[in-house]
Amino acid sequence: MTAAIPTIALVGNPNAGKSSLFNALTGARQKIANYPGVTVERKAGHASFADGRPMSLVDLPGSYSLTPASPDEAVTRDVVLGQQAGERRPDALVVVVDAANLDNHLCFALELIALGLPTVVALNMLDLAERDGLTLDPAILSRELGVPVVPTVAVRKRGLTDLLAAVDGAILSHQTQASALPASPPSDAALHQRAKAIARAATLSETPVRRWTQRVDAVLLHPVAGFLILLGLMFVMFQGVYAWSEAPIGWIEGGIAALQGAVDTALPDGFLRGLIIEGILGGVGSVIVFLPQILILFLFILLLEATGYMTRAAFLMDGIMAKVGLSGRGFIPLLSSFACAVPGIMATRAIPDAKDRLTTILIAPLMTCSARLPVYTLIIGAFIPNTNVGGSPVGLQGLVLFGLYLSGIVGALVVALVLRRTVAKGTAAGFMMEMPRYQWPRLRDVGIALWQRAWIFLRRAGTIIFVTTIALWLLLSYPKVPTASSDSQVDYSVAGRIASGLEVVVAPIGFNHDIALALIPAMAAREVAVSALATANAIDAGDDEEAMAQSLSERLQGRWSIATALAFLAWFVFAPQCISTIAITRRETNGWKWPLFMVGYLFLLAYAAAGITYWTAVAFGLG
Amino acid sequence: MNAKLDSAPIGVAVRISRIDWDAMSHDEGRRLREFGLMEGIEITPLHRGSLFSRDPLALSVGRMQVIIRARQAAMIEVAPTAS
Repeated sequence: MTAAIPTIALVGNPNAGKSSLFNALTGARQKIANYPGVTVERKAGHASFADGRPMSLVDLPGSYSLTPASPDEAVTRDVVLGQQAGERRPDALVVVVDAANLDNHLCFALELIALGLPTVVALNMLDLAERDGLTLDPAILSRELGVPVVPTVAVRKRGLTDLLAAVDGAILSHQTQASALPASPPSDAALHQRAKAIARAATLSETPVRRWTQRVDAVLLHPVAGFLILLGLMFVMFQGVYAWSEAPIGWIEGGIAALQGAVDTALPDGFLRGLIIEGILGGVGSVIVFLPQILILFLFILLLEATGYMTRAAFLMDGIMAKVGLSGRGFIPLLSSFACAVPGIMATRAIPDAKDRLTTILIAPLMTCSARLPVYTLIIGAFIPNTNVGGSPVGLQGLVLFGLYLSGIVGALVVALVLRRTVAKGTAAGFMMEMPRYQWPRLRDVGIALWQRAWIFLRRAGTIIFVTTIALWLLLSYPKVPTASSDSQVDYSVAGRIASGLEVVVAPIGFNHDIALALIPAMAAREVAVSALATANAIDAGDDEEAMAQSLSERLQGRWSIATALAFLAWFVFAPQCISTIAITRRETNGWKWPLFMVGYLFLLAYAAAGITYWTAVAFGLG
Repeated sequence: MNAKLDSAPIGVAVRISRIDWDAMSHDEGRRLREFGLMEGIEITPLHRGSLFSRDPLALSVGRMQVIIRARQAAMIEVAPTAS
């Protein structure tokens, strides 16, 4: 054995419980990066053998076979064959199979075992298999496969010590040289036959599939009822984002105000105090306030994924998506895009058809991502009355938010329809997917994923948003307005003058100087629009005690008409103001052509939508 | 009596008698086999479409449930099970 830390790769079919096993083995100490050259997520972590020797674990993308059908599956094949650039061939494989689905999962397992690397099979989710009335004998399975088989229940951390001990043993006792792909791989049919025979031999008893999941599916996949339930779930999700975040947002706001107060008394008046209070705390703080809402949205999405409902949602949506030339597969990336378009666009790699995938990428930014929430929440909070609709329990503010989400979705469907008939013409997309069983979501797995999302958001707030906020504060603060002048500080500053230039372009759609000022830094990220408004507001208030005491939304109410506010909301439904999204689109489409196309068509739509909204509102007397 | 899977009744187990591998793309065919859909296998159509669409089709293969489009189902011939 070499002195290097051994690398062990977790590999298996989708839905084999691989990620749960990975989480159970490594805990929250995970590193998520990309494989060089491709945009497939590389999940790695550390664990240790019983005697304390460390090992490094890699969680490979779920695959059905060594013949890849997508970029994800190609990475899995290349890693286990030692052909992935920048990745050592693993010292051992842990093949994860779903105990209740041996017929199918053993096919891939047989292919992997034939490679000749030290291999251990984790017979995972044994508890679910037993619940389904299956009794298996791991010893028979081990004899038939010729490698150790360890029963595991990843979510209960059962069998983990045995699994690692077996891996250790397999590496130590390994004699034969690991091979490349066999020269003449067995045919699919032969592989299936063998897998089936082995599964049958290892199955001691079997009762028919439990009926309860089918009864649940009869409702949730019902052509009409199931669809209404899906709509209802989404509605609850968006109301929840609004209603349940009120208290925690209050705490964060209180904390930031306390910090500002502390800095105010600790530091003398001057450059540094202004930078910290107005620039850093005012700007970054106004974005961090939205962490609760983003976490609630992600929590919903993660729960829907963990329970197995997400694939049902894809099934229900496939019919509609097929009508605009997409497939139900696109529903999962698009739903992820409600949290953030970047992981959403990355998730499109699971879509096999190139044109289907391109269209899904191009419309992903139309899904209302969490970065829009700060903007929507601020404007809705300031301009939409906090009342219920006609005595019902439905809040008007939540309803407007739902309407904004809906506008994005409808816009996306129309755009997809047009694109599939013009620039992304192609054959009808396919839709082939395995439907996972229902499962109780595991608190630990959801917790880890939620923490990772929160960390990404906070890191963004600490980097992109931090830097743009400070840059904006400097541009807004200088040059200082002469005391004799009647101009405000914001109008007199560098940023204010640039904004005056832009104002000429956006004035026809009802945008004022405030908005023109906020739009430029918001190119970096949409939520910066809020911190830009907050920073400009803080600088303008200056030492005016009365103005300082006003909240941002109170200030906006005094300066904007309702028509302008509504136009601003409509703009953000479409505007492609996010550098990260443009960058990921360039990477995923291998060039500048499609990201430029995307930015162009989205700005056109944004301008048109804001304009129509503004002119309509003015016509109704809201100007 | 053979029928196409895309018009087979929901909830009734059938056996795959023939798959028109030539009519589908290489990848489609491979994924079908990876799902365990091959000649001689017993399957049960479970759910079909939503709202006004008859696409897609969910079916059970062994202990697994998979989703395919009606277009692919039309390439799969099924016959009543022996029992």
